[in-house]
Amino acid sequence: MNIPPEKRIHIAVDIGGTFTDLVAFDESSGRLSQSKALTTPAEFSRGVWDCLGKAQLQTKDAASLVHGSTVAINIAIEKTGAKTALVVTAGTKDVYKIGRQNRPDAYNFLFHRPQPLVPRSRTIEANERLLVNGEVSVPLTEQEATRIGNAVKESGAQSVAICFLHSYIDPNHEEMLARTLRSMLGSSVYVTASSEIVREYREYERISTTVMNAYIGPKTSAYIGRIESRLENEGFRGKFLIMQSNGGAMSPNAAKMLPVAMMESGPVGGVLAAAQVGKRLGYANVISFDMGGTTAKTSLIKDSEISIAQGYHIGGYASGHPVAFPVVDIIEIGAGGGSIAWIDEIGALRLGPKSASSSPGPICYGLGGTEPTVTDANVVLGRIGATSFLGGEMPLDAKGAENGMSTRIGARLGMTANEVAQGIVQIAVAKMSLAVRGVSVERGYDPRDFAMLASGGAGPPHALAVARELHIPIVIIPNLPAHFSALGMLMSDIRHDYVRTYYKPLVDSDFGEVRAILTELGVLGSQALADADVPNGARSEIWWMDLRYVGQEFCLQIPVSREDVASGNVEGIRGRFNEVHDRRFGHASLHEPLELVNLRLTSLGARAKITFPAVSASAGDAKVGTRPVILEDAAHPIECPVYRRERLAAGSRLSGPCIIEEYASTTVLFAGDVLTVAPTGELIIEVAQR
Amino acid sequence: MNSKPKGTAANLDPVTLEVIRNALPAITAEMSVDLQRTSYNMMIYEVQDYCTALLDPEGRLISQNIGGVSHFVADLGVVIRAGVARYGTNGFKSGDVLLHNHQATAGQHLNNVVIYVPVLIDATVVAFAVVRAHWVDVGGLSTGFGADQATDPWNEGLQFDNLKIYDADVPDEQLLRFIRDNIRFPDASMGDMRSQLAACRLGERRFLDLIARYGRDVVERTIKTIYAETEARCRLAVEKIPDGTYRAEAYIDGRKGQLGYDIKVEVTVRGSDMVIDLSNCSPQREGPMNGRTFAGAYIAYKALTAPLEPLNEGAFAALKVIIPEGNMMMAKFPALMAAWSGALPTVVDTIWHAFALAIPERIPAAHSGSLGAAFSFSGIDPVSHKRFVAMSIESGGWGGRPGEDGQDVSMSVCQGDVRNSPIETIELKTPVMVLERSLRCDSGGAGKFRGGLGIQTRARSLVAGRWATQNGAGGRLTCLPWGLWGGKPGRAAETLIKGADEAEFHVPAGTGASSAGTEILYRTAGGGGWGDPLEREPDAVLADVMEGYVSPQAARAEYGVVIEGTQVDRPATQRLRSQRKADQKGTQV
Repeated sequence: MNIPPEKRIHIAVDIGGTFTDLVAFDESSGRLSQSKALTTPAEFSRGVWDCLGKAQLQTKDAASLVHGSTVAINIAIEKTGAKTALVVTAGTKDVYKIGRQNRPDAYNFLFHRPQPLVPRSRTIEANERLLVNGEVSVPLTEQEATRIGNAVKESGAQSVAICFLHSYIDPNHEEMLARTLRSMLGSSVYVTASSEIVREYREYERISTTVMNAYIGPKTSAYIGRIESRLENEGFRGKFLIMQSNGGAMSPNAAKMLPVAMMESGPVGGVLAAAQVGKRLGYANVISFDMGGTTAKTSLIKDSEISIAQGYHIGGYASGHPVAFPVVDIIEIGAGGGSIAWIDEIGALRLGPKSASSSPGPICYGLGGTEPTVTDANVVLGRIGATSFLGGEMPLDAKGAENGMSTRIGARLGMTANEVAQGIVQIAVAKMSLAVRGVSVERGYDPRDFAMLASGGAGPPHALAVARELHIPIVIIPNLPAHFSALGMLMSDIRHDYVRTYYKPLVDSDFGEVRAILTELGVLGSQALADADVPNGARSEIWWMDLRYVGQEFCLQIPVSREDVASGNVEGIRGRFNEVHDRRFGHASLHEPLELVNLRLTSLGARAKITFPAVSASAGDAKVGTRPVILEDAAHPIECPVYRRERLAAGSRLSGPCIIEEYASTTVLFAGDVLTVAPTGELIIEVAQR
Repeated sequence: MNSKPKGTAANLDPVTLEVIRNALPAITAEMSVDLQRTSYNMMIYEVQDYCTALLDPEGRLISQNIGGVSHFVADLGVVIRAGVARYGTNGFKSGDVLLHNHQATAGQHLNNVVIYVPVLIDATVVAFAVVRAHWVDVGGLSTGFGADQATDPWNEGLQFDNLKIYDADVPDEQLLRFIRDNIRFPDASMGDMRSQLAACRLGERRFLDLIARYGRDVVERTIKTIYAETEARCRLAVEKIPDGTYRAEAYIDGRKGQLGYDIKVEVTVRGSDMVIDLSNCSPQREGPMNGRTFAGAYIAYKALTAPLEPLNEGAFAALKVIIPEGNMMMAKFPALMAAWSGALPTVVDTIWHAFALAIPERIPAAHSGSLGAAFSFSGIDPVSHKRFVAMSIESGGWGGRPGEDGQDVSMSVCQGDVRNSPIETIELKTPVMVLERSLRCDSGGAGKFRGGLGIQTRARSLVAGRWATQNGAGGRLTCLPWGLWGGKPGRAAETLIKGADEAEFHVPAGTGASSAGTEILYRTAGGGGWGDPLEREPDAVLADVMEGYVSPQAARAEYGVVIEGTQVDRPATQRLRSQRKADQKGTQV
């Protein structure tokens, strides 16, 4: 293979729970390639090399490699992290174990609270105390820092988390102790101070986040180190980047310090790609809808900006660990292609959350699955072709699926196999519609102002029905819908988010101080961007204020401009807050005073965007035949034309009812839906409204 | 196992049923999220001291949120039925908003204010959207739940009896002004009222959307089917409990020389029917622990039947609760109700205790048995001259369970997704410094499976003001959180105070009015132990000692485990345990 004069291959590798996906784009040829390998939990990084091998790519030819991995979240969930110690302010030793004392499953008397990752016996109290105004009440002395260093050493901890009360105002004590620990314990012990990762009030959530970072830190940074050194050995001289939960990428150095930022990076790629593809096609408002084997995920993109939530729980809200860190705001529900339909103890038809996943899989896979799933229902309805699945590589057992519908469910509810199948799909669509409502209607957005971008193997078969339910006018099926997450990573920018609690009534806020803090956060952002080699011209910043009416607890995050801050534009900021509050909650109190709670800054480093080449249809008639498909009426299948997607030329127009098949997915159009193939190959479908 | 729900609607298809079954809880959950996120009052946004619900015109529960304060599980229907009795079924217009907290019907402390709106189609009421939420202040002698000195209900605050504060979208400005002028934190409470109203409006819109989509007839029949299905689900769970009548009792101390309360329960299971009879609990008293509520029985039943399933009228259709008029839980107006829910944690625990005989493999030992210590400091900020209240709830330990230790410091059976206030939040908002929040060593009852630990929270006031000085035991100072099957009780709660010029903490005398620099110490109760502590694995006792949950002294005294340094002295332990066992036999008659 010739080494091109300029390395112009961009690679993204996404390690998910079951599969590792690679997508590569060669800028010089415009060629997009893909490969898939099984994920290898014993050594996750193997999946990277397996995929590269399959795609016949060499890293020395690559300009960039973006990597998303479940490694961090796996360490947390499987509890295989480092032996960690925790240092906190005197008197707060048990705050981490006590948490917020809540029991979300209110009527479950056998509930479990979160299991701490650090035992009390490795929690050390430091004799230090800051007051709420930043004044030092008890100074942290050198001797005290040394005593703590010795205690950590004695505990045998491989990692330490430091989190002091009010350190979001003044991190001096934390920094001093971190320095002492680093110099006393050397590089063999991983040190995280809360002020290095999140300077926001609420000590339990901050402790939990800091502990999580420390707990997964040693293993995750070793993992990144292993990939780096192999890349170096292979002669890779491009940019290696790590995907974060906030939808941006970061340098390997940042990732080693901030592994907690990687935890929820898995589903993020798809949302990013939805934003980018939507923007390129002229749709700034997009709802991403990604349906895989076990779950469906949805997220809202407004003005081409992804939605960010400030915090989440690892392991679920009821018993999980809070992480106060930005994450792409995604609603995930247990409805995927593999979700099982069943009859409960009182004879009611239910769907999920149990999934047949990939093994044994749906009945129609013929791998031993016996319980009817959403995929089986689609096969029975003729929407997914039994002979054309995965390009015909994997014939599906339609008879078996039909049998399952009848014997498992139909016989007991007095329904035909077709009625059961139709019902299962309807319930799945209703559940997914609730999730899509959750990110749109429930947050004050009207779905009629959005296009839905459907991905995942199971997204395109259901997208039109979900869109119709919510009056979404346009559905977009992107290229490579089943590899969409990796594709999104390929399109990611560098992104870092910073927060600083600044608690004052808005009218009393010192905007000079506000500007100074934001400028300080900007310096941190610039350093991180420089570390990822982002040139000056590609850098930008967004400033935000977390605001609320005086007396409220939850904040809304409002963007503010430099001019707002320079001129102390209280009225302008208040107006924007009221507007957002009114949209989100349906009411605003125009004259209630506001308080400022946190300042936030997002640092962005734009990376060159991929420009997809125009599609040219491959040879042959796009229409490959017809088959009976049940769409509206379970008793009356209609003879539906079937098209091969790769044979559709740009500009082609098709009207439903019809089926469009491609390698790993199928798009189902109903009567009245009208499809146009975009110049770059995406299917743009106008949704018929009923 | 294949019992069909009673009254299944003949021609409702199972698919529509499942779709609407999922949609209804989504409406009340969304109402809850909106209320919580727009609220001005910590009792709502942190304590989640509220509920959001849809009721049908007969006052039956269509759906209710799950999460916050569990004792709101009951008692909404009576409010709606009283409203319908007042105005008549045709007496509601679209845009009406009603306000209610009157104790003769609502039966709770007056802070729990119900706002509701009728949902109409063609001028016919098809449902009510309802939000009951805890206002910071409703007038009366003091803010919050204090009203300690109250001698009659009018001392406890304003009574609102199904008042229309909006008539077809027109606010009654006179009435609103009157309310504003007679409560202490009008901005907060009026803000909460707006949030409650917005949540009701949201519920109204969403319910109308559902009807527009599926038709009124289908939705109404589906709801009735869901009631029947939920009932069937609960019946299946009750069928697994052996038939019989089971009894248990506990008691609550009276305050300040007042009579205490007996909590005597009798539960009867016959097939899939259950009766919870609370007739033998004390009659209503002069003190404030009176109410009109089925909540104790409902919480206990829900936990035993379908704890993770959505809430609707069917969830309690197969349960009969007997509480005669004049009982402490069916108090006749006028009666003091400031502490209306104070007995409920004990009531729930006592009902579970009765079931321990029937289903020993499922029932934990008693939890702390109170609503927790009410961390509270109030006063007037000397700089801003504004009133402030610092508030948090500090909960206690839960009982040891079959096969597992009890959970430490967790909200009571009456408080689900209720959160404490973070130290940093308290200090940011109020002139208080929290010095310690830790687990209380040795507070968990000894047992083969140990009771969870209570909390120890210590704070100092930075200005003059008033600390809430109730002991947080909720009257359970002598009837301790009990153990089961040989497990020992948890330690009782206490609240101590130390003046700025004092050296030692002591039991507070007086009302808690104090100068700057006064320290308060709240200690909450631990849970009871499950099983004989002498059967606890010595290594588990060692681990508890190493973690500081159990002292070496208690390891020896309660568990018969001798610890030397970081090791169990096994021979000494064996000797001590056999000797204890011999002693136990000796004392058994």
